[in-house]
Amino acid sequence: MPRGISFGLLGPNGAGKTTLIRLLVGLLRPKLGTIRVLGRRPSPKIANRIGYMPQLPSLYAELSIAQNVEFFARIYHLTDRTERKQRVEAVIKLVDMWEHRNKSIMSLSGGMKQRASMACAIVHNPPMLFLDEPTVGLDPELRVTFWEYFSSLTQQGITLIISSHTMDDAAHCDRLAFMRDGKFVAQGTPAELRQATGRPEASLEDAFLYFVRRGEEKKNV
Amino acid sequence: MSSRTFTIAGRVMHQLVRDRRTIALLVIVPLVIASIVGVSVPEKSMLDYIAPAVLAVLILFFGFLLTGISVLRERTQGTLERLMASPVSRLDVVGGYLLGFLPFALLQTLIIFFYMVYVLNVNYYCELWQILVFQVIIGIGAVCLGTFCSVFAKNEFQMVQFIPLIILPQVFLCGLLWPVGQMPDYLQWVAKFLPLTYGVDGIRAMMLYGQDLLDIGKEVGVLLAFAVGLLILAAVTLRRGTSS
Repeated sequence: MPRGISFGLLGPNGAGKTTLIRLLVGLLRPKLGTIRVLGRRPSPKIANRIGYMPQLPSLYAELSIAQNVEFFARIYHLTDRTERKQRVEAVIKLVDMWEHRNKSIMSLSGGMKQRASMACAIVHNPPMLFLDEPTVGLDPELRVTFWEYFSSLTQQGITLIISSHTMDDAAHCDRLAFMRDGKFVAQGTPAELRQATGRPEASLEDAFLYFVRRGEEKKNV
Repeated sequence: MSSRTFTIAGRVMHQLVRDRRTIALLVIVPLVIASIVGVSVPEKSMLDYIAPAVLAVLILFFGFLLTGISVLRERTQGTLERLMASPVSRLDVVGGYLLGFLPFALLQTLIIFFYMVYVLNVNYYCELWQILVFQVIIGIGAVCLGTFCSVFAKNEFQMVQFIPLIILPQVFLCGLLWPVGQMPDYLQWVAKFLPLTYGVDGIRAMMLYGQDLLDIGKEVGVLLAFAVGLLILAAVTLRRGTSS
């Protein structure tokens, strides 16, 4: 996979998006086959170079945003005090939470928690970032803001792997994989996938349905 | 153990300190219990017999409950999953909880100890530092037991139910209230497999009979074995429940 792109894992609930991400970040071990991330199997060494933003915000509710980010910075071994301070400040500012940095997580709204969670996932500046449904439950405005964050990350050369079940997110990705029942049904850029349907006016939603149906027809033959 | 262990320990302490009411309860509850024991005991000499056991029981109880719930919350809120996807090892997490909780447990022991000695006039015949060392050994087992048991609880209600299941039988069979030797044979046999029995025996031997840590080597050894066993169990099972 090329660097600095956003790769979307698209599929309905239960398609295996979260399971795939968990396998990739090393939370689950594959029963069959091997997994390679950044050219290696998931291990603590690799863990330092990937970021992971789980589906739920997953933060320490009693602690403030700054304390949470600081904690994960230490966990990812940013040992140098000034460097750590700079990174913590930079990522909190990136997600526009600087003025709220001393608020405890439990006092925040869902969207703010999501932003804080993202700050924790990128504090160690990982070249590869896994985001499990980062835009679920966000209002349309914040969704746009999140896509602005994502594109600023890809511009820095960070590769994003984003799972989602909305075609709205899919349109933003550089490359896409459609998933269903634990399998990839199609891969390509959004434009390629739309063209594959044979109808130039087709939306990504149409494209997804097209590939799903084609898969089923093959099965039935 | 790595610097990450200390990072986790620091965070555990930070979380506890931020929760003022829990800190207040940590101090007040044992004092209330010690007072009840002190006032309700019919004979002063009995208090010298029971007071050491109360110290051992309370460190087991609070160590178990507080870590159990903290680790459970770490599981349910998803932060454990996040940690498991990071370079942190499972021993870092368990070690972090140990280092984070033991200072509070020791502080609690000190408060109860001084309250018992100076307010309730409990007599003791050993050195204070030896009591603290012994309490740490019980505390390690308690924290690991709490971490381990939290794997089997899906929410706080279930975790609290583990108190009557895992802690109370130990309290009744450990010799806190009546000597183990006076119980039916099969119960004495059961008591031999419960860590608190050794905890109460050991601390009583020190405080009441003036023995030191070397004299109670058997109790120290058994408790250390329990602590190591539970530490391994806690570390091995830690990942469970993060990927459900």
